[in-house]
Amino acid sequence: MVEPILELVDVKKSFGDHEVLCGISMKVMPQEVITIIGPSGSGKSTLLRCMNLLNEPDGGKVIFLGHNITDKDIDINAVRAQMNMVFQSFNLFMHLTAKRNISLALMKVKKMKKQEAEELAIQTLNKVGLSDKADAYPGELSGGQQQRVAIARALAMNPKVILFDEPTSALDPELIGEVLDVMKSLALSGMTMVVVTHEMGFARDMADQVIFMDQGLIAEQGTAEQIFVNPQNPRTKTFLKRILKEVGALDPGIPSDFVPDAENGQDNP
Amino acid sequence: MVMTIDWTIVPEYFDVFMRGLQMTLLIAVISIVLGFIGGILIGMGRISRNPVIYGLSTIYVEAFRGTPLLIQIFLVYLGLPQLGIYVSSPLVAGLLALSLNSAAYQAEIFRGGVQSISKGQMEAARSLGLSYNQSLFSVVIPQAIRNALPPYTNEFITMIKDSSLVMTIGVLELTLRGKLISATTGQSIPVLIFVAVLYFVLTFSTSRIMRVVEKKFAIPGMMGSE
Repeated sequence: MVEPILELVDVKKSFGDHEVLCGISMKVMPQEVITIIGPSGSGKSTLLRCMNLLNEPDGGKVIFLGHNITDKDIDINAVRAQMNMVFQSFNLFMHLTAKRNISLALMKVKKMKKQEAEELAIQTLNKVGLSDKADAYPGELSGGQQQRVAIARALAMNPKVILFDEPTSALDPELIGEVLDVMKSLALSGMTMVVVTHEMGFARDMADQVIFMDQGLIAEQGTAEQIFVNPQNPRTKTFLKRILKEVGALDPGIPSDFVPDAENGQDNP
Repeated sequence: MVMTIDWTIVPEYFDVFMRGLQMTLLIAVISIVLGFIGGILIGMGRISRNPVIYGLSTIYVEAFRGTPLLIQIFLVYLGLPQLGIYVSSPLVAGLLALSLNSAAYQAEIFRGGVQSISKGQMEAARSLGLSYNQSLFSVVIPQAIRNALPPYTNEFITMIKDSSLVMTIGVLELTLRGKLISATTGQSIPVLIFVAVLYFVLTFSTSRIMRVVEKKFAIPGMMGSE
């Protein structure tokens, strides 16, 4: 039997009195792409940040490759080296070139020699189509380019899974495509990915599994087709209706079968 | 009695002025450097998650920032020997007091620099598997110190000027030399103005040098770079 790469068991998280995650259980299987969708404040990002313990869960288990990583005697740095994250605001190291953004962790965490690390950095930049920007600083790159460098930075670590926290939400609309293209080629290459996103096109086309979160719980979970074409939970329907209307207004290229039922389809311009 | 202003006093005592300038420069450089190192250590305490370290460093900063530097100089020079701690010379006492004082200010400059760096930088480093200390030293501090260069310049200039306070315990630096020449010759105006000019040469050079440093370390694509 194939073991999951990552498994959450009844993960709970509160900030003060506010319970953000009310008990989440899910599995991430090898080579699987999971997209997490849902309204703002539903706990999507917190869920993702509980996976690599950037936010420490208050309860439940996070099991990575068979080990419960919330145990105190787990070396969390060794875990994170295999479970990288791509952030909404890129978070490239502003004082380092694209190449050194990538080579830093290779040298500090993977203990590679400088030359070896920089060669791998350039190879990885090549994969995201930015080998010509190796010596550019983040401040000299567009948002889309910065996010591609950030993806390369995660990818170069050769992780078991990459967590994407709304990777296109901070981008100008015309820059979203280039980042999604890189993510698609990553997914097709067999990378295991967990993606929190508002990009319904990506969520639908690339996901093996879609998770709809609402109010700190998984409200509905299934294949892209189940969630987008035939959602069961009324909250999922309402959410999809609203967001697809917004997206549809922005992007007339969204196909009409995107919309859960015909009644809503009429609202969609 | 009105004395005519005699500017020839300046070339006449030029060597004495220069010895004073040398001493002032030495005091300023040493206390700035020691204050910088001390400031980083105490500043690390000020961002520490350990409440004891945080508390102690906060008390240090508030104590040295909240009391007159002159009293601190006297306390080191006159107070320490009373506790049986031997201070070999007024110069050592002066250097010690100035460094301790500057460390408090530079700790706050350092803390300000660190807090100007977005939390995302630390999170990104940690999410790649770097330890807290690795993230701090490879990612946060190099950016923090760059951002803090303008306030550091202020502090360095303040130190050059405040080093004159150690004249009160008999360190023969520029101000005390000037005061002695003016007492001997009665030519207060040319002597004091020349002393002021020499301080200005030091502070203005510092500000120019720091501008060069800022430019050299400016991050391309960020504010302040060309």
